[in-house]
Amino acid sequence: MPIMSKNPFCACSTPVGIGGIAVIRISGDGCGKIIDKMTRIIRSADGVSSFSQMRGYTMALADFFDIETNKVVDRVVLARFEAPHSYTGQEMAEISCHGGNAVKQEILRLLLSNGCDPAGPGEFTKTAFFNGKIDLSSAEAVMDVIAADSQRALMAANTQLNGRLNAKLASTEEQLYKALAIIEMIVEFPEHDDTPENDEEVLKLCNIARGEIDSLCKSFGSGRMLSERMRIALCGLPNSGKSSLLNCLSGYDRAIVTQVPGTTRDTLEVELSIEGIPVTLVDTAGIRKTSDEIEAMGVTRAKKAFEDSDMVLYLVSPDTNLDSVIVQLNELLLGKKADRICILFSKCDSGKNSEEEEIKCACSKLGIRNFISVSAKDEINVDVVKELVVRIFEQEGAFASQIILINARHYEILKEARENLDMAIGALNDGVGVDVASSVIRLALDRIGQITGKTVSAELVDTIFSKFCIGK
Amino acid sequence: MNFEQAKSIEYAYEAGSFDVAIVGAGHAGCEAAHAASKLGLKTILFTLHLDALANLPCNPSIGGTAKGQLVREIDALGGIMGKVADQCAIQMRMLNRSKGPAVFSPRAQIDRSKYSVMMKKVLENQDNLFIKQGHITDLIVDDGKIVGVMTESKAIYRCKACVVCTGTYMESRTIMGEVISLSGPDGLPRSQGLSKSLKELGLPILRFKTGTPVRVNLASIDLSQMSIQSGEDDIPPFSFENEMKGLQVASIDEQVPCYSIWTTDETRQVIHDNMDRSPLYSGVIEGTGPRYCPSIEDKFVRFKDKSRHQIFVEHMGNDTNEMYLQGFSTSLPEQIQEQMVHSLPGLQKATIQRNAYAIEYDLVDPLSVKPSLESKIVDGLFTAGQVNGSSGYEEAAAQGIVAGINASLKVLNKEPMILTRSQAYIGVLVDDLVTKGTNEPYRMMTSRAEYRLFLRQDNCDRRLTPIGHEIGLIDNERFCLFEQKQAQIIEEKQRLKSTFTGPVPELVKLMEDIGMKPPQSGISLEELIRRPGITYDMVSLIDKNRKDFTTDIKKAVETDIKYEGYLKLEEAKIASFKKLEEKAIPQELDYEVISGLRLEAKQKLNALRPVSVGQASRISGVSPADIAVLLVFLEANKREFKHERL
Repeated sequence: MPIMSKNPFCACSTPVGIGGIAVIRISGDGCGKIIDKMTRIIRSADGVSSFSQMRGYTMALADFFDIETNKVVDRVVLARFEAPHSYTGQEMAEISCHGGNAVKQEILRLLLSNGCDPAGPGEFTKTAFFNGKIDLSSAEAVMDVIAADSQRALMAANTQLNGRLNAKLASTEEQLYKALAIIEMIVEFPEHDDTPENDEEVLKLCNIARGEIDSLCKSFGSGRMLSERMRIALCGLPNSGKSSLLNCLSGYDRAIVTQVPGTTRDTLEVELSIEGIPVTLVDTAGIRKTSDEIEAMGVTRAKKAFEDSDMVLYLVSPDTNLDSVIVQLNELLLGKKADRICILFSKCDSGKNSEEEEIKCACSKLGIRNFISVSAKDEINVDVVKELVVRIFEQEGAFASQIILINARHYEILKEARENLDMAIGALNDGVGVDVASSVIRLALDRIGQITGKTVSAELVDTIFSKFCIGK
Repeated sequence: MNFEQAKSIEYAYEAGSFDVAIVGAGHAGCEAAHAASKLGLKTILFTLHLDALANLPCNPSIGGTAKGQLVREIDALGGIMGKVADQCAIQMRMLNRSKGPAVFSPRAQIDRSKYSVMMKKVLENQDNLFIKQGHITDLIVDDGKIVGVMTESKAIYRCKACVVCTGTYMESRTIMGEVISLSGPDGLPRSQGLSKSLKELGLPILRFKTGTPVRVNLASIDLSQMSIQSGEDDIPPFSFENEMKGLQVASIDEQVPCYSIWTTDETRQVIHDNMDRSPLYSGVIEGTGPRYCPSIEDKFVRFKDKSRHQIFVEHMGNDTNEMYLQGFSTSLPEQIQEQMVHSLPGLQKATIQRNAYAIEYDLVDPLSVKPSLESKIVDGLFTAGQVNGSSGYEEAAAQGIVAGINASLKVLNKEPMILTRSQAYIGVLVDDLVTKGTNEPYRMMTSRAEYRLFLRQDNCDRRLTPIGHEIGLIDNERFCLFEQKQAQIIEEKQRLKSTFTGPVPELVKLMEDIGMKPPQSGISLEELIRRPGITYDMVSLIDKNRKDFTTDIKKAVETDIKYEGYLKLEEAKIASFKKLEEKAIPQELDYEVISGLRLEAKQKLNALRPVSVGQASRISGVSPADIAVLLVFLEANKREFKHERL
């Protein structure tokens, strides 16, 4: 984390969560120019046509653009503050946008990719202080703001979502430390014949790490913004009772929060709470049979839902036959996550599936262990399903679903790390000295360490000493 | 004790008065003594044994990875290790040639006794320097400030500053299996009493362990069973002055080879069968040993998957038959050492001339030392070398020159010289020791340096010679040569940038030879050198007008061009590093009163008292948020100060 930002910095200053309106603040000289590029004024106080021309303490209605695609992200209200008459004493802007997570994150992402830095803990207040906007007697308060902010960040880091990000990054870090250790071993103890001289291995490790970081970066601003929620995919043939179950699980009093269209048009996501656990139910409308063939597209979508989910409820209605179930599960499962799939024999009020035992037997062979007969209509065993959800939720760290980057600062850091790794891979491919590759891998690790809190030198020396046997 | 107490001791007498007293004449002491006397201060250098001055009690080599960089840095500042090593080299190599210029590391096998003799001669002929065989047992301190030292023979030497560099001698004991001797390395006398004196002054004392392998007689071994490792020709000298004057180190014909062998199953068996007699595992040894330099028994225990380990057999000098077994350090009993050595190929009948031993010694916790290497507890007292927790001749010498310079600057009432992590390996070394401390003998490694592309062995002079000149260790004549060299580098880079070549046949052939497409149109020589696989030397085929430069200049030109993009990245990192490094923290600051600092940070900062925000940021347990809080506090303080002045 830079201690003092040189570029304009930005942050969403309204609370996390979905509200009607969110306010994004940007401070720093030059922020006007950045906003000019990204907005088109529709109506303003003095009829001016760009943000920079606005007088201080005036507002304008504007469209906020993604300048690469030229698409409007949101219609926003801009407020301008001139230096030094702003909170921080620098040139400042406030963008009031619509309060959805996706919109907020997209605007932040675009600001970051156009020259803004993410604000550090208490950075607005800190800057205000350094620019003399806050008097000496408040210095302590400023320090408290920083301390509290970082405390909050620390607490956030301990939440499950960030815990998962850290776990993921830990594996990326491990690849890179391994790569570095290989390079460093050769470099520090060159006269030893038994030190592994293996550029191929280094390259492989860098490529793996680069791929992992890349997929994290791509997940940022992908449109499907999640808070810390468990994703449960509802799968099964049409009319297998998914909707009834969904209604039954959500209940009247646990109101549906939002209905956000998913990444594919055919999946419907419903946010609800099961026994206090925040859950996103993903209704995969895509799995269906046309004549005797499974529709290829449907499988693809269902697979994606499978991969992205933490748990799968697969519904089998009384009239479904063994073959169609097994064919689908075989296709979808590929041996993964069998322990988090539950077969629900639905509509059990209207009779038992004639092949239930055979289905159970075949599914067991695939590693599936959970079978429940349910009826949404008569609420039979719905509580058993909920218990299972709770049990799986409580298996700590058991979530393997895709990790999505939601923090703009993290995104910025990882993007830089990716650039560094590109340089490293380039250097290794070009046969430039490993000293260069090592230098840029180190930069990448430095950056990842800004999220995970590890420092390169200490980790590296430990890795070298634990992995290799050297000495005079 | 204070001066009054010292005077009142029976038979005590005043033997002289000096500006700087240096305790210990190892590699740190020699550099410190040289620097202080050269800066015009009346200096006295004490040694327990004059014949062991600048002794190499372990491996007979100087340089190597990161260490070679240190030697060249010492030379660039005006030190002497490089110059003496250049005269005593019996084999030269440039390690890591294929790994990129940032990690090129010169290493020399050294004639051990010649090195000691040559160093003694240099120091004996140094103005302002007095050398004295004597055993310092007490420091004399008045009002928290060093005023003198006292020998075992009760001679009092007054001094204004003192550098303690006792290496591994303080309260040392050597261990071979069950046999413990109260001795220094190489059977030399140990230092007794000084450690107690330091402790009484309030300095925190730690205890470390290290070790050394056996030496065998060349006449008793069979070299035909070993593989040969020869030296290399055309290696630049350690000393930039020698390099600039065109002086060459030992030519290839004058060099001796080293040999390499592997341990056998028998070696492993002997060690395995006798592990119960190892003092490391029986608990006899209390000190912390280094991870990077494990004894051979340690290697077999810690790396069970490895059935054999490599051993190097190295000449100890031209006038001796002694051979050093690098990688075979042990603290097993003498009797077992015989069996172990005889299990090695070519050494079946070897006669051991000196046995291997482990050695334990007292040292000062470097966390009690300032970045200038002055003690935080006693004014005017400096420590350097292994007494600060480092390991290695080069690490010691590097601290020696820093302590020698800063002790002198202190006497002269000037600000200390503090090299930063972005300026030199020396800066990394000192900062690591005094900021992070160490729980094992600290060895310099290139991977400890964050700015490795920038801290190269070929540009040490560019980084440090102006500093050495300003301080006064580099004379005008040498500085003039230095400036000429730098001008040549700049000029040559400029010439390459503005010289263009078309796809002439020589170029086409050159490119095709390395499997690259020749350029279609004109290209500058600079562009050409930047391409992977093409070196400055290769381009000489089409660059007929080039001057003949030294290896150093050629390397600097090539690296500056090839690494330009990467260097820029590193320079950006350095720039942001410098900002925090330049923010000084008042030494009397009470961190307890700073609201917003976490408890752990308060404790760590209060204990360590960093000199800059940069140093504070490297203390383990101090978070970036703590640093932000600290910055705000310092700013508030500054304003308050201004306010008061108005």
